[in-house]
Amino acid sequence: MTARQRADRRAGIAFVAPAVLTLAALAVYPGLWVLWLSLQQRIPIFRIARFVGVDHYVFLASDPRFWNAVRVTTVFSAVSVTLELALGLLVALALQRQRAGRRLALSLLLLAWALPSVVTAKLFEWLYHPSAGLVTLLFGARNWLGDPALALPGLIMADVWRTMPFVALLCYARLLTIPPEVYEAARVDGAGRLATLTSITLPLLRSILLVALLFRTLDALRAFDLMFVLTGGGPAGTTETLTVYAYRSLFQTLQLGFGSAIGVVIFALVMLVAGGYLRALRREGLAA
Amino acid sequence: MAWLALALTALVALAGCAERPDQAGPATLVFKHAKIFGPTDPIPGLLREFERAHPGVTVRSEPLTWTSDEQHQFYVINLEGASPTFDVLMLDVIWVPEFAQAGWLLDLSRWVSRAELTPHFPAAAAAASWRGRVWGLPWNMNVGVLYYRADLLAKYRLAPPRTWEELVEQVARIRTGERDPRLDGVLWQGKQYEGLVVNTLEHLWASGTGLLDDRDRVLPEPRRAAAALAFMRRMIDAGVSPPWVTAGDEELTRRPFGDGHAIFLRSWPYAMDLFEAEGSPVRGRVGIAPLPGHRDGGAGVGATGGFHLAVNRRTRHAEAAVALIRFLASEHGQRALTAAGVALYPTRVALYRDPVAVRAHPFMPRFHELALGGRPRPVTPYYLMLSTAVQPEFSAALVGVKTPEQALADAKRRLEYMLKGLR
Repeated sequence: MTARQRADRRAGIAFVAPAVLTLAALAVYPGLWVLWLSLQQRIPIFRIARFVGVDHYVFLASDPRFWNAVRVTTVFSAVSVTLELALGLLVALALQRQRAGRRLALSLLLLAWALPSVVTAKLFEWLYHPSAGLVTLLFGARNWLGDPALALPGLIMADVWRTMPFVALLCYARLLTIPPEVYEAARVDGAGRLATLTSITLPLLRSILLVALLFRTLDALRAFDLMFVLTGGGPAGTTETLTVYAYRSLFQTLQLGFGSAIGVVIFALVMLVAGGYLRALRREGLAA
Repeated sequence: MAWLALALTALVALAGCAERPDQAGPATLVFKHAKIFGPTDPIPGLLREFERAHPGVTVRSEPLTWTSDEQHQFYVINLEGASPTFDVLMLDVIWVPEFAQAGWLLDLSRWVSRAELTPHFPAAAAAASWRGRVWGLPWNMNVGVLYYRADLLAKYRLAPPRTWEELVEQVARIRTGERDPRLDGVLWQGKQYEGLVVNTLEHLWASGTGLLDDRDRVLPEPRRAAAALAFMRRMIDAGVSPPWVTAGDEELTRRPFGDGHAIFLRSWPYAMDLFEAEGSPVRGRVGIAPLPGHRDGGAGVGATGGFHLAVNRRTRHAEAAVALIRFLASEHGQRALTAAGVALYPTRVALYRDPVAVRAHPFMPRFHELALGGRPRPVTPYYLMLSTAVQPEFSAALVGVKTPEQALADAKRRLEYMLKGLR
């Protein structure tokens, strides 16, 4: 290594140091601390702090409430993300064709996305209101938030309404960057609408869809606010996600050790999924 | 790198400043409390009056968000973090033993004798002390009551029901006569949250059992408890209560009754002020009765709730803080709660016969009787653990996902695992 290279290297380290240190202080250290907490029985109110090893994880393995939360989280994420991607894509394609009122459509989309999720939840609380709600009026009197078979679909609808615009706007932005010559060439080659869509538009959208999928899945796996406000995890725990269960254990009942164990499981789950996506993205040449 | 170190030093220094006690000079008390609902907020007036009587003491009031969960979270984080950023706090009665056990509250026994608690409702006084010490002063009172449509009951010559079984019969009779498909029978709170535990407890008590017995045994009589849960479920199955009560909280159930679409409602006293407000469709047509009992159990009992005042153990101004809560909880201080436009009910029994208060809230004497018979939820430091563990199980029994027996067995198993870790 020459002196020049060494100097460059030092400069490089100095430049990344603030970012690495910040990350270490804000993410790695608390992360390790949570891992350490999860191996303890720690309930400050009763001044209990003792090492219990993997006891909490062993209990979780046979805890029906935990497995229920895993199932709810998975179903919620899979269904809502699929719907969001499909609808978002359709909306983006529609926007591309739309001539008049595009600005208005974009603002309306942004509005849904920009609302704080607690506000969205309150909004849907009224939409699902058993006697005065709009959804109730349109689809007949159904017990949306109090029926174990309807509560989760009700929450998924709210989540799709709120985050579909995110996907739509991402896809729309990508569509704007496709040069018109590509489409002209397709027309000259005699490609029909369907062929244009499947062999030009969709392949070009592929990478942005993967990015949207990554963001949305990671968000959905940590879903909390909608269920917390609308159903509190009920009825019968049918909308209790892992994060709601962790919140109840950590903040409501102050079982810091047990709650941290759930937190670690959520972290592992998110990392697993994120790892899978990142590998896919790398194949697309999108991520370093 | 140097800038980073500098920034960190500055941060530490700043944090240090914020923590430094303000011992010299006049005392400033910080009073944390839930946001007060209703058109009139009595707190600022009371605080100014206290300041005038205590020269050198200023009180800053800092309202918290309105949800009980968030208040609890705020207190837990700040009290466990041992930060002395507030001196006086207003807390839900169910948190008093928990916070006392955690060592976060100042033991008030030095200043407040138990005799000083006797002018308050017995249920409120019971919730203020724990393990023979006084930890809080009762400030406002809540009790579960049965609202009924006095006009409808009179039309069919019925007296308010004494048992739930009688209530079910009355609902059938009135609905047959009224032929109004939009008229519901009885509304109550069945959403998976604290309100569900309160409603279920009231049914358990009415059936002669409870959630915890004197020796801290969980669900001591599973058969009676299962029967009570099964009765709640049957009310939904039979259409006496609409299916959506399984998602109903206080406000969601208060509105249809207030619009005239239900015969009975189980709720808290605050609802009366809204039913009697100008323009309310049910104004002058609502009566209040004690909650019904069960035919083979005992008399009905309303669960009590409300807020207490306590002092942060880490306060630097204990004397002034205790003086403030005693002032707020005094008869004079609580009279401010009875002013027109305040939807809070005092814990001092004498105020319920106060002519001025009764003129502003004509139903106070009636609430007095009901609150006297009220019963606190289990007074134990692990109440929240208990409550959050049984909520999904009670909910499962109500919506029919589990049988009451199964739900109770699951609740019991979970609670026993959690309590094992504490003993």
